[in-house]
Formats: sequence, structure tokens, C-alpha cells
Amino acid sequence: MGGPWSGPAVVVEDLVRTFQPKKRPEVVALQGVSLRVDEGEVHGLLGPNGAGKTTLVKILATILLPTSGSATVLGRDVAAEATSVRPLIGIVLGGDRGLYNRLTARQNLRYWAALHKLEPGAGRRRVDALLERMGLTKRADDRVQTYSRGMRQRLHLARALMHDPPVLFLDEPTTGLDPLAARELRAIVGELAGERRTIFLTTHDMAEAEALCQRVTLIDRGRILATETPRALSEMLSRYERVECDGATDEVVADLSALRGVSSVSALGLSTRIEVDSDGVVPEVMRRLVAAGVTSVRVTRPTLEEVYLDLVGRRGMDV
Amino acid sequence: MRALIGAIRLQLQIVVADRGYLNEILTNPFFAVIFLGVVRAAGRRDLTTFAIVAPVLMTLWALSLEISGNVVSADRGVGILELVVATPTRFQTVVFGRVLAVTLLGTVGVVETWLVARIGFGVEVSVHHPGVLAGALAATALAMTGTALVMAGAFVLAGGARTFQNTMNYPIYLLAGVLVPISYLPGWLRPMSRLIFLSWSADLLRDSLQPEPAQDVLRRLSAVLLLGAGGFLIGSIILRLVLHRVRHLGTIGQE
Repeated sequence: MGGPWSGPAVVVEDLVRTFQPKKRPEVVALQGVSLRVDEGEVHGLLGPNGAGKTTLVKILATILLPTSGSATVLGRDVAAEATSVRPLIGIVLGGDRGLYNRLTARQNLRYWAALHKLEPGAGRRRVDALLERMGLTKRADDRVQTYSRGMRQRLHLARALMHDPPVLFLDEPTTGLDPLAARELRAIVGELAGERRTIFLTTHDMAEAEALCQRVTLIDRGRILATETPRALSEMLSRYERVECDGATDEVVADLSALRGVSSVSALGLSTRIEVDSDGVVPEVMRRLVAAGVTSVRVTRPTLEEVYLDLVGRRGMDV
Repeated sequence: MRALIGAIRLQLQIVVADRGYLNEILTNPFFAVIFLGVVRAAGRRDLTTFAIVAPVLMTLWALSLEISGNVVSADRGVGILELVVATPTRFQTVVFGRVLAVTLLGTVGVVETWLVARIGFGVEVSVHHPGVLAGALAATALAMTGTALVMAGAFVLAGGARTFQNTMNYPIYLLAGVLVPISYLPGWLRPMSRLIFLSWSADLLRDSLQPEPAQDVLRRLSAVLLLGAGGFLIGSIILRLVLHRVRHLGTIGQE
């Protein structure tokens, strides 16, 4: 897989991409995006619809040209050295598109083996191995139009892996999959990450990003909001830590509601959730709960989804 | 070469899965009936070879341009074009291989026309120079495929390319002497005919059916191949420029 390159797998610097729809104002999809993805890293790109995720992936995959700025994959410029980038990358774009539905999985994959210039014997063996790995061997000679969405996505992944690329771009690979199929695909992506491939994954799914990614970049309206580990992103909102407890009386609830730094006290089923908005308030809340005889107390961190919603706001997201 | 073979194989598999790709081959016998009927009605037995060669070349021409457009528009419609351009294989190679596969299948039009002439009109068509026929068909298929790349580029860029292509078919047939002898054309048009590879192909194919020895076969085959190579070169450049443009515009994935 890997070549002699020892720097970051992906470097994006001040990348701008605009589109000019007919008779409509210019659309700015990416506004000066910069990020780095280390070799062997699973990097998540999280953002709402229209945030610029797919545009960024397509530029990195040499499908689109940037308007300005630069991007490199394993040290090769995606615009000026596209032909040397292409053997290094595999791409899975979201949705049902990208396959010849009237052909079988094997026929589809043989074609991609040829496009990646695999010698015929090696191509056949690689196709067989990938079909096996993706659990498609038994249906390999059925037309793709008879496949479930999950099977199609696994076939897409097999296609992307045909030439054993060191860098994978996966654009919302689990979108539209049922939970079981999504879990299977995540497991495969986890295996690929274990092979020290660099994986750049766009997703809507917070749990997916938390489960798979070493670092996550939040993007909205073509701008990077933050790049951190999922845990560090959670810690960014540590001042919004909350306390949950069972058995709090109305008196205790009233006492805590009046406490400075507590932003809300709400019922959460049989439990009570106390949200804070200032540093250092949690210990005081805990002290008062314990003093009131409440012993079932826990402090929880915000999930990545909550961090994301806080940073992006609740603008038109399908999360 | 591996990518080219892969593209040819893919197209043959697509044809097996979707026989609609071969509609042009099915229309070939009807053209043969029309042309042979006209020649007979006019009492011009000397033009019989025109009536036999014309449907074959028209089928090949229409088929190659049809498929070149389909390769682009169908791949674009299902999101495959984006993925193909992101592979190490040049898109020109893919188009060339896929068009070549269908164009070679289109040479079956020779057999269709032969059967129509024999069964429908009682005309015994003898191939006096099978080597010339085979060479002319192979060179023509290659030249057709090369020229089709020009149209493939147009299909990426312009939705109206299909209309333009259909409009241009018959003028090309006339200019190339496919339907009527070039000697019937106005004098000032005749030099232009020789810039179209079809005119050389048509002459060679007709000569292969004549008992007289075929003259200058290599030179004329070279003319077909050179003009086809010119089409391929121009088509490749157009396709490369067009792909660069749609990557720039961001319309590569749009139907």
C-alpha cells in the first residue's frame, strides 16, 4: 500500500470552490478550507447537508477542480498531478449511483480491475477476494439491480478497494442503510482502518464518527468549525456538563434552579437533569444533591452530536 | 491495453444485458430493401454495389455515434463517469473500447445485407476480394470508433449534440459517396469527399464485390486509417478539454 511519502496523507490549504448555476447567484461551496489528515488516520468530516462535504471529497478525489487554494494526497497535488493521485485513492460516493445495475457484481468489478490496469489473472483473483471479503460471493453472479442497498454499498467498497489504495474517501457510506447493514459496513471500515489505510469519511452520523474516527472536522457552509478528537470536541463543551440524578424532591429542584450557573433543571423520565453553563458549578450541584440525601447521581458529558449541534446550530440538519 | 480490453468486454456484457443497444443493426435490412428496391425500379443494376454497401456503412456510422453518446450520457446519468475519470485510465480509452465493441458487432450488417439481396431480390452478391472486404471493414470500424470520440466530447458538453448528430448523418452519407457516386456531386464538393474516411471505405467495400482487381488497396486502407486516426486525435483532445472544463464547472456528475 503505502509509498515513500512520509508526510500527512491529505493536506488541504485555503481551499475555495465556487459554482455558478445558470441564471442564479454564485454558490460558494468551500470558503478557505484547511485541514490535515495523517497517514493511517480515520478522519471524519461532519456537517449538515450543503456544508461542502461532498465537494471537498470530489476535489480530493480529482473529480472536481478547486477554484483556488491547494490540496495534496500523499504529497501529490490533486489538480496539477491528478494522474499520479488516482492510483493512490479509492472512492465511495454516497447513494445508489455508480454501478451498472444490469450487470453482475463480478462483471462490474472486473471492469474496475481493468480500469486500474490489473493484469487479467491478478484482476480475477482480486475480484474473488473482494467479493469474499464483502460477503458477496454467493450473489456475485446476480445482477446488481437485485441487490439490497447494503449489498450495493459493500460492492462500492469492493470497487474502491480494487487496486488496494492507501487512501480511501468514503462519502456518507452508510446513508440510507438499515441499522444492521450500517453496522456491517462500519465493521468493514473499522477493519480497513486496522490495515493502516488513511480513511477520510464524511458522515451525518455522530455515533459513526465517534466510533470510527480518530479525529473529526466539523464543517458548515463551507467553513471548518473545528478539528479535534471526538473526546476533545466533547470537552470543548465541558462547561456544559450536566448532572443527572434519581429521586430529587421538588424542594431540591427548586434549590438547584435558583443556583447561579445552573441553566435548566428538567425531568428526564424518572430522573432529573441539571444543566450548567459555568465552570465549577458541577461540584456545588453534587454537594447540594448529596446533602439533600440524593445518592444516585451521575455527571455526563455531551455527545458529539450535542457538540455539533451547539457549534453548527440547528440549521436544516438531517441528523 | 488492459483497460481497452476491459472496456470492450464491459460493452459486450452490456449489449447482452440490454439488446436495445443494437437497434441500428435491426434497421439495416430495411435500408437494404429500400436501396435495392430503388436500384431495381430504376433499372440501374450498375449501382447494385452501392445499394449493398450503403446500409452497411450507414449502420456502422449510426451505431458508432449512437453508442459514443450513450456511453457518456448513460455513465453520467448513473454517476459512473465521475468514478471513471478518477481512475488511472484515460476516459478516451474507455470510450474507444466501448464504441469499438459495438461497431465490430455492427459489421454483421454485411451478412444481413447479403441475405436481403439474395433472398429478397434474388441478387447473387459475390465477394471477389475477401481480403479487401475484411481489411476495409476492420479499418472502417477503427476509423468509425476514432471519429466517434469527437461526438463523445460534444455529448459531455452539450445536450443538443444528439440533434446535431442526427442532422449531420445524411449530408455525410451524400458527401462521402455512400448513397450515390461522388461523380454525381457538384465538382466543387468532390475534393471534400476525400477528407471523409467513409468515401475511401465505401470505394474499398464496393471494389471487394467487383470481379476486377482492386487497385491501390494499401494506399486506400491507409487513407481510411489515417483519417480515422485524425478523428481519434481530434476527439481525444476535445474529450480531454471537455473533461477539464466540466471538472472546472462542477457539472461532470450532472445529466
